[in-house]
Amino acid sequence: MGSNCYMEFSMNKPLVEIAGYTNWRKKLILMLLVGSLSILVVSLICLNFGVVPINPKDIISLLLNGTQDKTKNLIIWQLRAPRIVLGVITGAALSTVGGAFQGILRNPLADPYILGVSAGAALGACIGIALQHATGYLFASYLPLFAFIGAMFSLYLVYQSSKISYSANSTGLLLAGVAITFLFSALITILLAISRKELQSMVFWLMGDLSAANWKKISIITLPAIIGCLLLFFSSLDLNALSLGEEEALHLGINTGKLRIRIFLIGSIIIASVVSFTGLIGFVGLVIPHIARLLVGPDHRIMLPASAFLGGIFLILCDVLARTVIAPTEIPIGAITAIVGAPLFIYLLRRKNK
Amino acid sequence: MKIFKKSILIFIFLLFPLNLFLLMGSSITVNYPLTIIDDTGTAVTIPQEPQRIISTAPSNTEILFALGLQKKIVGITNYCNFPEETKNIEKIGEMTPLNLEKIISLYPDLILAYPGLQLKEIQRLRELGLSVIALDPLTLEDTFKSVKMIANICGISEKGSLLVDNLTQRVNIIKSKVLKIPISVRPKIFVGSTFETIFTPGAGTLFHELITLAGGENIAAGLSFWKKVSPEFVAQAEPDIIIVPVGAMNQGEESKIKRDLSQHPGWSNIPAIKNQKIFIVNEDLFYRAVPRLVDGLELLYGIFYE
Repeated sequence: MGSNCYMEFSMNKPLVEIAGYTNWRKKLILMLLVGSLSILVVSLICLNFGVVPINPKDIISLLLNGTQDKTKNLIIWQLRAPRIVLGVITGAALSTVGGAFQGILRNPLADPYILGVSAGAALGACIGIALQHATGYLFASYLPLFAFIGAMFSLYLVYQSSKISYSANSTGLLLAGVAITFLFSALITILLAISRKELQSMVFWLMGDLSAANWKKISIITLPAIIGCLLLFFSSLDLNALSLGEEEALHLGINTGKLRIRIFLIGSIIIASVVSFTGLIGFVGLVIPHIARLLVGPDHRIMLPASAFLGGIFLILCDVLARTVIAPTEIPIGAITAIVGAPLFIYLLRRKNK
Repeated sequence: MKIFKKSILIFIFLLFPLNLFLLMGSSITVNYPLTIIDDTGTAVTIPQEPQRIISTAPSNTEILFALGLQKKIVGITNYCNFPEETKNIEKIGEMTPLNLEKIISLYPDLILAYPGLQLKEIQRLRELGLSVIALDPLTLEDTFKSVKMIANICGISEKGSLLVDNLTQRVNIIKSKVLKIPISVRPKIFVGSTFETIFTPGAGTLFHELITLAGGENIAAGLSFWKKVSPEFVAQAEPDIIIVPVGAMNQGEESKIKRDLSQHPGWSNIPAIKNQKIFIVNEDLFYRAVPRLVDGLELLYGIFYE
């Protein structure tokens, strides 16, 4: 393909080329093996990074029997490990949903936040923060609940308004999502403008952050994230058909409207549950699916799981940078994902086009 | 016999206040473990006299220094810049997000935190079994309470009371002076900023409280907390004095600030500008809930009336 237009080889590939993936099972198994192995290795390496120097031998013995210096034990098991696990889950969820949304909207600029859930979660969280400050820090531990309720509210609004507009057409859904995002962002801006004391907490929530990770949070989000992502993986064939074009998919017997709504609902619930705990970590969900597509091709059956693995690895590597570059100060992880991700993406794009 | 009974009664009666006195005396020496209700309404148990304290806010650091507890501080934030000796204390990074790993690695037995920014981290540190006291003083009165609370936790409640008594006395001197000044002659005060957008402190801020105590009339008294106001609002209020706080949050050079304010379009008729009553002050004396607020109060009184 001599064209340099990215859309062309990702979305509008001729049928023959997609059908060419006859050995997808082998590819999938290979990818799963390589993916899980590299996640494990990268996680173990990431455990070594932090403000407090702990030598790798100690970490290995800590992981195996756990009895040693109490502070080191606390740092590894209660601070670094939960942060890495939360990073893997968050990165994987954002990237998988990003990939699936790009598929249903047939838009390379789609990310998990484009359909409005994140704006709802953000508004919920900001209201929660404002209430905390107004009530003398009551219900401080319920902030994720506020975010989740906000996300569900925006999900409902987007769903209803896309139903009213042209029968769940991809443009209808996209525009409904964008409209709700703008509306909620405006409300957040007003909240930010009238608050002074709680401003910084709100801004930091909006930038996303893994630093408050703990095992309880992980136990809450793991199940929805894993079940949701599996459901998305099982829709891969339908997504493949949709990538041929709206009409082609209809001719193949796929109810594109229903498919779109199904993916939208599953994806949004995954994002709502993850984002409620981590805040809005940007860029991962937009670019990782593209990188996965460049590496393993556009077949969703392989591309979606590959996105999950890549997203997980990418986010924990970014988090290591966030907490070590100018330690003990931590950089917001959203900034790191963009600074590291954008050049990497451009490099891969150029190499592919040569 | 009757006299005997009576004298016993009188004796017991006399003993009663003495007993009370003894009880009060014993409460001055702190018995650990100590349970404290902090500003988030959480009951925190302090097992023994803290020896390794981390302060995650400049205000807490200053209070520790004011109480002479600096030798027990093992970590402070990058923002803790007062007094000079803070330079030699290990830094734990920014105020938010807190670096939990760094905090744990310093083996603290007491963390004095600021819930306004650090609610998440406070919960997390408590889950990890550390003693965290969240302090969020909003007024001068609250600030004095924080001083007493920290003194109490560290087993030097007498020193805390002494410091607060001393500060209260200084506040009372200003109060009694201001009481004699008729409301009609009190100057109208505008707190300016070095930014193009004007944020000014309204009711509920420490700055407003100090202006009022020092006998000034804040033009933004009708607003609550820090609010963005229009240049028109300032022009219409016709302030007699403009105070510009300068420091880490508002940066600028004195002559430039004065020139910019004087040349601000539409403000040439403001009395403060006509009479060049523009004063540049150190913001830390007005923003931070610390004993130095009283210095700020005395400074303001000086600007208004001397």
